[in-house]
Amino acid sequence: MTKKTISRKAGDNKYLHKDFHGALSVGIDYVHRNYGEDAVREYLRQFAAAFYAPLTDALRQRGLVALKEHFDKVYADEDGRTRMMLSDDELRIEVEACPAVMHMRENGYTVAKLFHETTRTVNEAICAATPYAAELLDYDEATGRNVQRFYRRT
Amino acid sequence: MISCTEFIPAYSELFKFLEFRGGREAVEDFWNYLSDEFLGNLRTEVEQHGLRGCWLYWNHTLNEEAADFTMELDEAAGRFKIVMHHCPSMGRLLENKHIEPYHDYCRHCDVLYRRVLKPLGYEFKIDLSDCRNARCAVIINSYTDR
Repeated sequence: MTKKTISRKAGDNKYLHKDFHGALSVGIDYVHRNYGEDAVREYLRQFAAAFYAPLTDALRQRGLVALKEHFDKVYADEDGRTRMMLSDDELRIEVEACPAVMHMRENGYTVAKLFHETTRTVNEAICAATPYAAELLDYDEATGRNVQRFYRRT
Repeated sequence: MISCTEFIPAYSELFKFLEFRGGREAVEDFWNYLSDEFLGNLRTEVEQHGLRGCWLYWNHTLNEEAADFTMELDEAAGRFKIVMHHCPSMGRLLENKHIEPYHDYCRHCDVLYRRVLKPLGYEFKIDLSDCRNARCAVIINSYTDR
């Protein structure tokens, strides 16, 4: 019969619980099944408009470099391999394999059919009401490999 | 990509979205679904290891979530306990001053874990009285391991 105790402080560990990708996927799938495709996009737009509001402000004020800094951190934290090309009017991000999709595939989580909307719709929502737009140029469902493009609206 | 470090606000906003669409019942329905679909690893650990499975499950998740906690396992007493000194989820929601946490955010833990543990013969108690300060406590009592 075991008796044991542990205590941990927040600073003892790095905050990186990749299983959360699986929980988000379950949520996306649930909304899709019960409320439809448009509801998934509506939810993601609402989330992005609320949560990424400071990033959208930074995009307005500082331009695409603000997005590059954001995605540099996101992919670095999750060990995602990317190639980013930034100019005054365009940011192109080539993701070799999406860390979220790869974690789910490797750990037996179901990847929601609309999981790619967590990239496409969220990127579009971040750019809403700014001089910039976003598009998802390519997406591989098996690995999440993708090409994202942000550009100045003409 | 939504980073796993950004999941908690995405989760909180999903609860708001569901409540707007279908009321609190819609949120509860989702929590039940999520428990059934996503907590298979907790279920498996407890089925295989009894109360020690709780220790194995939360030792993994709480460390990856960089929680500030104390966790106790007493198999002879049939008790497992977590004292959350600072919940990483609610803590992050409170840090993000530009978003308001879902009003009943913390109760998802009660619904999700109780739904897994009760059918396996465990009593699940959670004290959420101070959860708006990112503090809570969980006690799981075993009737089968004693």
